[in-house]
Amino acid sequence: MGTSVTLATVYNMPAALHGGDTLLNDTTAESRTQALNQFLASVELKAYRIAHAGLRHEDDALDAVQDAMLQLARSYADRPAGEWKPLFYRILENRIRDMQRRRTVRGRVMSWLPLGRDDEEDEADDPIAQAPSTDPAPTMRLEMDEAMKALEGALQTLPPRQRQAFLLRSLEGMDVAETASAMGCSQGSVKTHYFRAVQALRARLGDFHI
Amino acid sequence: MNLNGEQTSEFERRTRVVLDESVAHTDARIRSRLNRARQAALVAAAPPSATYPRKIVWKIHGLMPVTGALAAALVLAVVLGGRYIHHALPVDTGQGNAFEDIDLIADDEALNLMEEGDRSFYEWAVAQDDGTEGTST
Repeated sequence: MGTSVTLATVYNMPAALHGGDTLLNDTTAESRTQALNQFLASVELKAYRIAHAGLRHEDDALDAVQDAMLQLARSYADRPAGEWKPLFYRILENRIRDMQRRRTVRGRVMSWLPLGRDDEEDEADDPIAQAPSTDPAPTMRLEMDEAMKALEGALQTLPPRQRQAFLLRSLEGMDVAETASAMGCSQGSVKTHYFRAVQALRARLGDFHI
Repeated sequence: MNLNGEQTSEFERRTRVVLDESVAHTDARIRSRLNRARQAALVAAAPPSATYPRKIVWKIHGLMPVTGALAAALVLAVVLGGRYIHHALPVDTGQGNAFEDIDLIADDEALNLMEEGDRSFYEWAVAQDDGTEGTST
């Protein structure tokens, strides 16, 4: 609302007062940056969860989200804001797949090399990670964490397209059309992938009481 | 909706609760890193004119014709100067000179003279230039 008022005011001013097209362009760029900031802030946590479900590694998931943010900002910031969400999630999914492939290759190479501790063992020695939780309901929190771990483990067994369809619909709350746009496939394919994902997860997790 | 559909809906509801909870309880360290990543992306999206003060951009644009003319003059000078130097420098096209140089380098006797420091040879050579040695012998 505020942005539209500012733009309307600038449009109504004579060129000599508003400094010509330069100031107008600056105002437009500023409002676009604000809109991009709001969009990225609204998706970053869910995007991290989706990346983490695919990669099961904190730093890799953060890297994937950061790369997707950068690519969206560099290449598609001038697109209409309504296109950002499907574009962002398509970039993110491509990035996740790239990292999974790279990890597979790296795993094959590393299996031939004698190495010491890995990152997870380093985190186990981290005193901050070992500090007791200050959460007011630790038991419930623990149950949720366990449920999330089980769900992530089950998601890991799904084919990538099923996992993507399930997370975009369940976590991001996209409808079928948006999900189809983000996945670059038809709405019928989205419905099929989603249905199969739910069936596979139910078979693996059971009733999944929380 | 049949029984199977109801069970699926309940399952979906539960999974959504878990997913939403995991998002809501993302720890501060990860939130901070995501915030930094977002700020970096916004910097990358900003146009160059927003990064630099407008006066500096105007000055840079004003200097562009002058800089272009200077660059063109420099290129012309290099091309013409290169052609002049190309014609002015002597070009050794004979193969005999190269063989003479090899002979000089490979000549053991000349090297021995330099190493031994035989001063009598150089004194004789100077006397030859002055014309004194030739008259006495």
